[in-house]
Amino acid sequence: MDAKTQKYDRQLRLWGNGGQQALESAHILLINASAVGCEILKNLVLPGIGQFTVIDQGRVTQSDIGSNFFLDADSLGKSRAERAAELLGELNEDVSGHWVAKDILSALTENPTFLSQFSMVIATDISRQTAEKVSSLCWTNQHAIPFVWVKTVGLLGTARIVLPEHVIVETHPDNVADIRIDTPFPELANYAKSFDFNTQDTLEFGHIPYVAILLKYMDEWKQAHDGKIPTTYAEKNQLKANIRSGMRSGDDENFDEAINSVLRSCQPTVVPSAIKALFADPKCDNLTAESSNFWILTRAVRDFVSDHGKSAGLLPLSGTIPDMKAQTDSYVTLQSIYKTKAKQDVQEVSKLVDAILESLGRASGSIAPEEIETFCKYSAFLKVIRYRSLEDEYTQPKTKQIASWLSEEDSLLTQYVLLRASDSFFDDHGRYPGEGDDWEEDVDHLHANVATLLQSWGVDTDVISKDLTHEICRFGRGAIHNIASFMGGVASQEVIKLITHQYTPMDNTFIFDGARSVSGVFSV
Amino acid sequence: MVDAQTITDNERWAGVYKLLDRNSLIHPEFEPQEEIKEFIQNCKILVIGAGGLGCEILKNLALSGFCDIHVIDMDTIDVSNLNRQFLFRRADVGKPKAVTAAAFINKRVQGVTVTPHYCKIQDKDEDFYSEFALVICGLDSIEARRWMNATLVGMRDEDNPDSLKPLIDGGTEGFKGQARVILPGITSCYECSMDMLSKPTGFPLCTIANTPRLPEHCIEWASVLEWPNKHGERKMDTDDPKDIQWLYETALARAKQYNIQGVTYSLTQGVVKNIIPAIAATNAIIAASCCNEALKIATTCAKNLNNYMMYSGNDSVYTYTFEHQRKDDCPVCSNSATKLEFKGDKTLEDLMDYLKEKPDVQLKKPSFAVGGKPLYMQAPKQLEEAMRPNLQKPLNELFSSGDELTVTDSTLPFSLQVVLTFI
Repeated sequence: MDAKTQKYDRQLRLWGNGGQQALESAHILLINASAVGCEILKNLVLPGIGQFTVIDQGRVTQSDIGSNFFLDADSLGKSRAERAAELLGELNEDVSGHWVAKDILSALTENPTFLSQFSMVIATDISRQTAEKVSSLCWTNQHAIPFVWVKTVGLLGTARIVLPEHVIVETHPDNVADIRIDTPFPELANYAKSFDFNTQDTLEFGHIPYVAILLKYMDEWKQAHDGKIPTTYAEKNQLKANIRSGMRSGDDENFDEAINSVLRSCQPTVVPSAIKALFADPKCDNLTAESSNFWILTRAVRDFVSDHGKSAGLLPLSGTIPDMKAQTDSYVTLQSIYKTKAKQDVQEVSKLVDAILESLGRASGSIAPEEIETFCKYSAFLKVIRYRSLEDEYTQPKTKQIASWLSEEDSLLTQYVLLRASDSFFDDHGRYPGEGDDWEEDVDHLHANVATLLQSWGVDTDVISKDLTHEICRFGRGAIHNIASFMGGVASQEVIKLITHQYTPMDNTFIFDGARSVSGVFSV
Repeated sequence: MVDAQTITDNERWAGVYKLLDRNSLIHPEFEPQEEIKEFIQNCKILVIGAGGLGCEILKNLALSGFCDIHVIDMDTIDVSNLNRQFLFRRADVGKPKAVTAAAFINKRVQGVTVTPHYCKIQDKDEDFYSEFALVICGLDSIEARRWMNATLVGMRDEDNPDSLKPLIDGGTEGFKGQARVILPGITSCYECSMDMLSKPTGFPLCTIANTPRLPEHCIEWASVLEWPNKHGERKMDTDDPKDIQWLYETALARAKQYNIQGVTYSLTQGVVKNIIPAIAATNAIIAASCCNEALKIATTCAKNLNNYMMYSGNDSVYTYTFEHQRKDDCPVCSNSATKLEFKGDKTLEDLMDYLKEKPDVQLKKPSFAVGGKPLYMQAPKQLEEAMRPNLQKPLNELFSSGDELTVTDSTLPFSLQVVLTFI
């Protein structure tokens, strides 16, 4: 094992070499070397992102070193960007760190294309106005750049993802087994019939794979029921009883496995509605030379499914089966029957992919075989997330949904409202509520901001108690390291999902209340 | 190098002090007092483990204003730690974790003293543990957690408020984790929740020996059956790459024989070392949650977690916070005996095997006594040999139905009282 594989072993078991390569190709921009910003970056530098840049015009103060592990006593008075980049960089010799001692808005004025070199922008300690401007530039960049905005205020933390579209093939679902008891393909049906249920050899009988058992009894059921599989609870129980009657001893594990799989097997194998929705998506319909591999592959699979002769109207077979009580050679043979069919489906899809590529003026074979194979394997679990822009969030609020969330007891959306109101307070006063010593005087102002916001949504202003507003002022936008570290963990994890395109990121606002130790995700 | 004097606490801890200096209408019982700040500075706080969680916990406590922190860890640093245990560098591989972690924090954060203890938790006694105001665990073994929990619960004396040592326990695995607050004798303890643990995956011996189907079966065969065959008395060292290489090649040969795909070096390591995937992000989340609770408990600036938060990050971001209930017959924190029904004609060895497997008991090497009279003792050697025949005797020959058994185990500092009724 080489040194890098050894170092990254524990994380490679989660996202594999593909995920690791994606991380190593990334260049992440951190806006402001705040406590939370540096904690986020720590969790990205350690697993080996390619590069990072810290942009911050500030100089290190005492309160910085009290909440930020990557600014120390030696850093006092120096450039925050420079010192943070140094202390973060030394966490991992494989990572390149850079720094810019400027304000992000100045940098953008000097160079309007400043952001396009980055594959991810993480923003902390910025005003709402700056967030709107930067996220908009990320959105409209030639290749849209994910924008992640993270805030900590006293014991509260929040993170927001902004991105036009995020696609995921490897969502890592718990169960990828695709057994098709209800619609066995010919090779599977034939193999199942080859098992001798009348054998006198106990060992042989006890090792008939449960798949073969289920197929036999399902087949008998269909013949007695007009070709249909059990649909009602009573019918499924009857099928279980039929199988049980075939047991010879109470210990036949393989029969137990078959009985335990009846409910799942009676769920018809279909194209999930979420996937049908992708097939109907305009981006699947209207392919262009600029279409991403994801949509080209979706279209190819759609075409495969439409060709009933090749697909029987189903998605490509995943090829995965669970372990089961069986002799080695019958299991290996059964497994290879599924794998062979899966391979055939992949070949059919590949032909369709090449046809589409040609029609778009792209080279056939320009989508790697491994990518097509993975796509087919996980085709039942694909996900597309389209995040709302900040502009939409602010100008087209989901008033009904917001009112509904706020009507729940102890709703975390209350914290969302309070933090939005704090942004309005900043617009009015040029500072955040509670920052100064006369902190309690800010309560009325902040509560007025809260009321304005609620009124604009048509929500009763009584919904948020002034005690909660008082608490925000108490926090005084203080940076508390534990909260910065918590949010650093959450945000970095979401960034990793966005970069690797594995696992499902949250959509779109995460809120953590460190006072009650509860959290929630809201799609605002 | 800036003189420590010129760094003022009021500026450095500005964020935390806002919480400590200002009253709250949400937590009206909180009273700002200077004594609270002094308490954080002067109290002794103990961290168990200086690994993935431990490094984060030490950082968090130091940056919360705690000045006197102790850390125990018996391990040395491995290359595979470096992707998340950020107080260690390549040059530190082989050095003790506790010592290296303490040195890093002491250097980076002004005014804090982290004292390392390079030893097992069992090497320290109650006198040691009673010095601390709070204990935070970032352990990776059930056995160690049980021991720590039982020790702190055992130390608690209702008449002595100082004997109450809050135990904050964190654990992570891949994208999942949990943080909990245990107030010994008041809330549910670690032992109360033993039945929440999932059974460890194991493969039946007949599958491994006769009908392998998965690459894991081939690896288990190599490590459980073939290794003793080829190496006799010599124990396998899962940290030695040469031993892993042997296991990998042996498993691969068997797999080829049976036409089984999928045996890799990485899978081999994963199976024999029971490797759990780990990343910095999850450790950061759970450790931060634990230290957030520590700060709240130490300062009362807000209510603490009551008492369990589960976290899952593979699909969106999800936490579930609930109050885990005490178990009425918990062998550690309750005074009641556990009630058990068992066939009277089964042997003492059968009972022993049952208690080893039972998820909420999980003993390793139990010893038995009834009414003060020993039935079977694992040690000393002479006593064990003398009492060994009792293992094969049926229970109804050794004692009567309804008798109370005392079960002890060298790994646990408590005894299990079992009232056994024959069925």
